[in-house]
Amino acid sequence: MKSILGIAVVEVRLFLRDRSNIFFVFIFPLLLILLLGSQFGANSGQARVVLSGGSGTELAKVLSEQLKEDGVQVSSAGAGAARDQLSRGRADVGIFISDDDSAAFASGQPADLEVLTASQSAAQAVLQEVRASVQAVSTERRQQSLLESAGVGATEAATALKQAKESVQQPQVVLVDTNDVTQVFQGLGRFDLGAAQQLLLFVFLSSLTGAATMIKARRLGVIARVMAGPVASWQALAGQALGRFGIAAVQGGYIMLGTALLFGVDWGNPLLAGLVLAFFCAVSAAAAMVIGSLMDNDAAASGVGVGLGLVLAGLGGSMVPPEFFSETLQAVSRVTPHRWAYDAFAYIQRHDGTLADILPQLGVLAAMALALLALGSFLLQRSLGRAL
Amino acid sequence: MQRAQVLGVKGLVKRYGDHTVVDDVSFHIGAGETYGLLGPNGAGKTTIISMVSGLIPADTGSIEVAGSAMTPASTRLKSHIGLVPQELAIYPDLTAKENLQFFGRLQGLSGRDLKARTGEVLDLIGLADRAGEQTKKFSGGMKRRLNIGIGLLHRPALLILDEPTVGVDPQSRNSILESVEALATEGMAVLYTTHYMEEAERLCDRIAIIDEGRIQAEGTRGELVELTGGVDRIDLHGSGNTGAAASALRRLPGVKHVDGGASGLTLTVHNGPGLLAPVVAEAGGAGMALSSVEIVRPDLESVFLHLTGKALRD
Repeated sequence: MKSILGIAVVEVRLFLRDRSNIFFVFIFPLLLILLLGSQFGANSGQARVVLSGGSGTELAKVLSEQLKEDGVQVSSAGAGAARDQLSRGRADVGIFISDDDSAAFASGQPADLEVLTASQSAAQAVLQEVRASVQAVSTERRQQSLLESAGVGATEAATALKQAKESVQQPQVVLVDTNDVTQVFQGLGRFDLGAAQQLLLFVFLSSLTGAATMIKARRLGVIARVMAGPVASWQALAGQALGRFGIAAVQGGYIMLGTALLFGVDWGNPLLAGLVLAFFCAVSAAAAMVIGSLMDNDAAASGVGVGLGLVLAGLGGSMVPPEFFSETLQAVSRVTPHRWAYDAFAYIQRHDGTLADILPQLGVLAAMALALLALGSFLLQRSLGRAL
Repeated sequence: MQRAQVLGVKGLVKRYGDHTVVDDVSFHIGAGETYGLLGPNGAGKTTIISMVSGLIPADTGSIEVAGSAMTPASTRLKSHIGLVPQELAIYPDLTAKENLQFFGRLQGLSGRDLKARTGEVLDLIGLADRAGEQTKKFSGGMKRRLNIGIGLLHRPALLILDEPTVGVDPQSRNSILESVEALATEGMAVLYTTHYMEEAERLCDRIAIIDEGRIQAEGTRGELVELTGGVDRIDLHGSGNTGAAASALRRLPGVKHVDGGASGLTLTVHNGPGLLAPVVAEAGGAGMALSSVEIVRPDLESVFLHLTGKALRD
C-alpha cells in the first residue's frame, strides 16, 4: 500500500508543481463560472424589471414601489442600457417612462407606458406580473382621484386608501410557468448550473491532460526503475490509477469548494455531491490511464486530452445544458460520463434528490470507470513491456 | 579468497522474433567484486541487465540473486538490487531530495532511516548543497550522480550500473568512477556495463567481452590480454632506407613480424620495452632516419579486435 500511495502522491505533486496548471486548473474554471453565471445564469426565478426614464417623478416612484411590493427585482437604467439588458437577457421586462407619461399620471390622466419584453420564455410570465402591478397602481390612482373629486382632501384620501388596503387580504397572483425548460431549471441559483457543468468539464480535462506526466515518466525510464524495485506490476498500475484519481479529485474538490465559498453555489447534499464527484473522478482517472498508455508522446497526449475532453464535455452537456438537446443528441450524450454525472447533480441540486434517486447514474459511472480501468491497465502493461 | 556469490547467471538466452539478442550468457559475481560487461552498443549488455533486474523474463537460462532465483515476479528479491539505468530515470520536476525519498520509500525505507539515508547519499554523490533544487536545473553530471545515488539508497547487495558515464564531462566521469571504486571496497557486488575500455580496465576485477549477444571471452585484464599472445607493437616513423631496415629487423630475435612502407615500419614483438634499444640501433644501422618511435602495449581494445575482428567503437 505504501508503494501505491507513494506513486500516487508523486503524480499529484507533479501535477500541482506544473506552473501552467496554476491558471488552467485554479483560475480559469472559476473565471468561466463567474462569467457564465453573470451572463446567462438563472436568477432563482425572480422577475427582473428595468425602469427607464421618469427619474424622480411620482409615476416612477409609485410604480417601482408597487413592483417591489409584488416581489419583482427592479433596476433603473437609461433607455439604451435598458434595451441592452433586455437583449442580453439580464432583464425580463423593460418599462420606458416618457415625460408625457409622468405628466399625465401626475394630473390623473391615462398614461401609455412603453413596455418591452426580453426574448427568454420567462419574460412573458414576468410581463403578466408587471401588468398586475401597473393595474394596481392605476386602480389606486383612480381611487385617489375619485375621492379627491368627491371633496376628500388628498392626504385624507391617501390615508383612507392605505387603511383600506391594509384591512383586506390582497389577492395574490401566482404565475405558474408551464414551459418545460423553465421548470427543469427551477430552484437553481445564478451560478449553480454553470458550476456543475464546468466542474465536469475541468475534472475530465485535467485528468486527460495529466496523462502526459504518465507518458513522461515512462519515457524517462522512471516507471521501469520503479518496477525494478520491490514493487509488483499491479502496485505500479494501482499507483498510477490512484494518482490520476487524485489529480481529478483535487480539480473537482477545488471547484466545488471554491464555487460554494465564492459564488454561493448550492451543491445540494454535500455527501451525495461528493459521491457523484468521486465516481466521476474515477471515470476520468481511468480514461487518463487509457490515453497515457495508448500514446507515447506527452505533448501529443495533452493535445488529444484537450480535444477529447472538450468534445465529450460538449456532448455531455457541459457547454450547453442537455435539456436543450434534440432527442438524438440526448441519446448520444448518454454515451459520455459527463451526462450521467450532470443528471445526478441535477437531482441533488434542483430536486433534493436522495441516494436512491442517483443510484442509476452512480451505477453507470461505476461501470464506465471499471471498464476503462481494465482497458487502461491492460494497455499500460503492454506499453511498459514496449518501454522495457 | 573465495567471495560469497551475489549473482549467478547461467545459460541466459533472449530472442526477439528470429533475432537472438542474448545467446547463452553465463557469469557470476561475488561480494566486493566489480564485474564488467564490455562491448559495443547493441551487443546485448542492457538486455542482460534487464533480465538480471527482473524487468524482462529470459527465454531460457537462470538467474540467481543472493541465492534465490530471480524472475520478473520476484518482487521481494528485487530489494537486493540497485539498478542504475542508462537513461536518467529521475523526475526532472522533483528536487534531488524528493527523488531520493520517492525511490527510497518504494524500497521500503521510511521515517528516520529514510531521512538519514537520503542525507548520506546526498553527501556521497556531492549534491547535499543542491538537495532542494529541481533536477531539471542540474548539469548532466549532477543528474548522473543522482541517478547513481538512487541505486545506492537502500544499500543493495548488487549494484547494476548500465553505462553510467555516457554523456558525462571528464571531471564528473572521474568522480563517478571513484565512487564505484569505493563501493566495491565496501563489499558491494557491482555489475558494470560500458563500451569504454579505459573504464573497464580501471574498475573491473573481471571483464566479459561481449559481442552480438555472446560472451567472447572472460577474465582479468591480464588474462584477456594474454589471449592476444601477449605481443607488443613498435611503430617506427622516419625516412631513408626503410626496406633495408625491415630486412634487418626481421632477423632480430624477438621480432615476430615487420610491416610497413616508405614512411615507417610496424613491428610485432615480444617484450617491446626490452627490445626497443636493439630495434632502434638495427634500424639506424640499416640506413633508416628515425623521427619517432612508439611502443603500443596490448589493451582490451586489442583483445576485442583480436577476438571479433572489429574495433570496439564499431
